[in-house]
Amino acid sequence: MKRRYYVPLIVVVLAFFTFPVVFMALVSLKGQADISTGDVFPTVLFWQNYPAAFESVALAKYLRNSAIVATCGAALTLIIAVPATHAIVRFGLGKAWLPATILGTYVAPPIVALFPLFFLLKSLGLVNTHLGMIIVYGVMNLPVAFWLLSSFIRRLPAEIEEAAKVDGISYLRTLRSIVIPLLMPGIASTGIICLILSYNEFLFASFLARSEDTQTVPIGLSLFQGDRQLRFGQIAVASLAAMLPIYLLAVFFQRWLVGGLTSGAGK
Amino acid sequence: MPNAVSELKAAPRKSLRAGRHIAWLAAMPMIMGIGVFALYPFAYLIALAVTDSSLARPFQEWAGFANFADALSDELFVGSVWRSALLALLSTATAMVLGTAVALLLDKAVRGRDLIRTLILLPLLTPPVTAAIMWQLILMPQGGWLNAVLMDLSVISSPVSFLGHPTSAFASVLMVDVWQWSPFVALMVYAALQTLPGEVFEASRLDVRSNWTVFRFITLPMLLPALLGIAVLKLVISFKVFDLIFVLTAGGPGQATTVSSFYIYRVAIQQFDIGLAAAQTLLFAVVVGLATVPFTIAHDKSEEKLS
Repeated sequence: MKRRYYVPLIVVVLAFFTFPVVFMALVSLKGQADISTGDVFPTVLFWQNYPAAFESVALAKYLRNSAIVATCGAALTLIIAVPATHAIVRFGLGKAWLPATILGTYVAPPIVALFPLFFLLKSLGLVNTHLGMIIVYGVMNLPVAFWLLSSFIRRLPAEIEEAAKVDGISYLRTLRSIVIPLLMPGIASTGIICLILSYNEFLFASFLARSEDTQTVPIGLSLFQGDRQLRFGQIAVASLAAMLPIYLLAVFFQRWLVGGLTSGAGK
Repeated sequence: MPNAVSELKAAPRKSLRAGRHIAWLAAMPMIMGIGVFALYPFAYLIALAVTDSSLARPFQEWAGFANFADALSDELFVGSVWRSALLALLSTATAMVLGTAVALLLDKAVRGRDLIRTLILLPLLTPPVTAAIMWQLILMPQGGWLNAVLMDLSVISSPVSFLGHPTSAFASVLMVDVWQWSPFVALMVYAALQTLPGEVFEASRLDVRSNWTVFRFITLPMLLPALLGIAVLKLVISFKVFDLIFVLTAGGPGQATTVSSFYIYRVAIQQFDIGLAAAQTLLFAVVVGLATVPFTIAHDKSEEKLS
């Protein structure tokens, strides 16, 4: 490609991917009069939308609930997936069928698990609790975590672990003091990706979170739908507040995030 | 002495076997988790599908294959499956083309690659509910940016309700899904590009004139297994779309954007017919599985060809 086409093309691409976010940020600063014009920039900066959005829905509570279930859910996924993926990859457990089954479960649309899990959690009294959602998110992302972690684990040199075994170091200690430290970048990126997936999740949350004390940010945002005609400015504020934690996380941990997303692509 | 030798010989094997036990133990929570999240639901759905069930009281009485028959004779359900498939295929195709183009652009970047990559990540990180809200603000008839621009350019004379007409509503859902997932494709393709051996390109550039020829006859064939792998993943993800539709169009107007996940959800929530919803879920899952088969076969073939 000729160099002179490059800059305009990349500008068009960036505009397409970022404009909706920018436009929403500008809408968050618009009063009702500015919103109805469709102009990009507000004529008056209408900061009142910000406090108003936090007052009209329990935005702070939603953010807290999201933080709790997404963080704990990702932690649960890692606790289960790190030793298990290592064991399956290193010892070749279940030959090809076990990895294939684990990955294959990702193909099923989430609606498949919705009703069975709902009834299961109901019988355990875990509907409308943080714990119930943490468990669901913890297991929901296992196939993704397995996929991401296994490509990181394959890249670790097996010789170190074999040497440890010859020296009589126990499996648990090998895992704790050799594998996990070496695997840290992979664990970090897997954790971040699982956290984002749980944070953004909607279908399960809409069934399992039934009050302000458990509802997560996506559910809270969808509740605005009732009277959206009136409060676009506030909806924009709430949406920005919903995205901000994830964006900040992504910028801080960009290296790991990109590393995780791209770890399996070369295969 | 012979004892010590045989002990030495036996020791690694014994430790390996003991290690395998511990390995299975370490894998158990994962296997149980997958069982609870994936295998148990399938068994449960089959049980639901062959009985009359409601959200409050599952498994009331044996229904045989009545739920499956009802599902297949339900035109709205069959229509939603076609719509899901159409959306998934179109979205995958578009996102693959756009994502690959962006990846090639990114590969050519001299400066600011990290910044560009961070900005491109925005749609991927956005919760689908929020993505739907953003695009609603752009597409709405009163105060939407797109209508304002089209009116300024005199393309239209009065505001158009893009989400109010079947074709444009479907196209809008498609566009938002492509917006959200093309960055994912771009990142994956970009990573795959980095694994290609550079010397081939150096050599080919010496005796081939156009970049297009290099792409068509060298980059593309070498990239094909990775591309097909990414396409399968994107296809599977596209079949899962739910929240985007829930907020952007609520399946409307009419049934124009009602994909299967959303239709099944409504059958369960509004008609309380969990047995029917379960039968539909199983049929839908089979369709999703079948849809990935041609891509998986093509992926395996393209890999064979390369090696």
